[in-house]
Amino acid sequence: MSRRDLLLQVIIFALGFFYAFTYYVRVSEPVDLQALGDQLFAYLTAMLTVAFAIGLINLTRVHVNSIRRRRPIWRYSLVLVISMYAMAVVSLISSPFAIDPTGAVIPPALMDAVNPIWEFLYYKILVSINASIFSLLAFFIASATYRAFKARSVESTLFLLAGLLVVIGQAPASDLIWPGFCAIRDWIMAFPTTAGERGILIGVALGVIAFSVRRMIRYSW
Amino acid sequence: MSKRSIISDPRLVYALLALVVTVPILSHAVLPVPVSATTRAVFDFINRLPANSLVVLSFDYSTSTVPELHPQAIVVTQHLFTRPVKIMFVAQWTDGPALTDAVLDAIEKGNKKYGVDYVMLGWIPNIATVIGMTANIAQFFPVDTLGNPTASLPLIKEFPAGKKASLVITFATGEPGLNDYLQFWQAPFNIPVAVGSTASAAPGYLPFYNSHQIVGILISLRAAAEYEILIGRIGLSGAIPAMVALSASHAMIVIVVVAANVLFLLRRRKTAGDST
Repeated sequence: MSRRDLLLQVIIFALGFFYAFTYYVRVSEPVDLQALGDQLFAYLTAMLTVAFAIGLINLTRVHVNSIRRRRPIWRYSLVLVISMYAMAVVSLISSPFAIDPTGAVIPPALMDAVNPIWEFLYYKILVSINASIFSLLAFFIASATYRAFKARSVESTLFLLAGLLVVIGQAPASDLIWPGFCAIRDWIMAFPTTAGERGILIGVALGVIAFSVRRMIRYSW
Repeated sequence: MSKRSIISDPRLVYALLALVVTVPILSHAVLPVPVSATTRAVFDFINRLPANSLVVLSFDYSTSTVPELHPQAIVVTQHLFTRPVKIMFVAQWTDGPALTDAVLDAIEKGNKKYGVDYVMLGWIPNIATVIGMTANIAQFFPVDTLGNPTASLPLIKEFPAGKKASLVITFATGEPGLNDYLQFWQAPFNIPVAVGSTASAAPGYLPFYNSHQIVGILISLRAAAEYEILIGRIGLSGAIPAMVALSASHAMIVIVVVAANVLFLLRRRKTAGDST
């Protein structure tokens, strides 16, 4: 390990240990460790903001180069660059993300003129496009359900029955047909589903702890 | 087209689904919707909050999940605006502040005043802010989304730290979302947390509900319809007309699954008979 690597490792270990310690142990005398941790987090916010700006610069460079060199996808790059900066400029002038919402520098008349453009771009275009794309999930689920839910074996039959009962129980009209559907759905969700989810959650948490400890002590397993 | 190809052709299923979703919505048909225990838990908890409690509403979803989560956000916010509580709007997703604006445009605010009864703090850029605002809101949000210095707002003077909150409700699509509030608000400060979730994410939140780490879950568009009934504001979020479409689409999926299995079993029996 070089001296530089060692220094980095010491910093990683010290910060990892510090945050794990302050999460579980409250120390207010002689130094308020929780307040110190919060202060460090404020610096982290600043660093992440800079990282975001670097991302923007990088995206611009990649796509401007693509346009300049007339790469095969240069038209998409052009759309991306124009959309990104147009939306950014409009948002910065007049939106909930406005850089000067009180109108101290940007004239209020300009903000009033730009606001309908922003509302149209955001609520009528962005929301509609994204919601439509997400709604396509219903079609994929419908298609996947009848392909996956096949009574091939005892296990898959149980899976099929549980899935169908939850689908029926989740439909608001199921209560009108037979109230028992909701009770069955609730039982499946509360016990077998929760048991499975809990197992996954605990497994993931143990994995994260193991990875963090491994990173802190630079131990390769 | 043979029987086999009809059932295995996804285009037919897509067309049927489009039909059973659009026809009920266009016909404005309505259904009585039974209220789930998970939805009632959120409603009851809000009703039991003492006067002048602080409720944090976190808009942790993007524009893609607006159909599922936005109606929930509208009805819950409307309920809070009828209660004598203080409301703090934040967002862990960048779309959150714009969606908060849309929610506030959709509800009746009554006599609640901005800065005194509710504030919009805007986007929480990272986990550092989620943690830090429990100790000092003004340090992490020097100004609100309207450009006012937060330290001068009466609500922030009354509640300078997030750890004074009596309830956090996160409308969550994924990460960041519920887990951040569970780890850094609920566990260390015992602040009650509720979640509004998409149908697909809800099973992941159930272990926390069953272990009483979250007070309730609003599951999908159906919860918004249930909540409309609970607060007596039918039609506020547009969720109730969608319930017929939801029931019809579920019924269609059940029929298609049963039909596919009948065909599958017939084919298997035929194959077994041919081989013997």
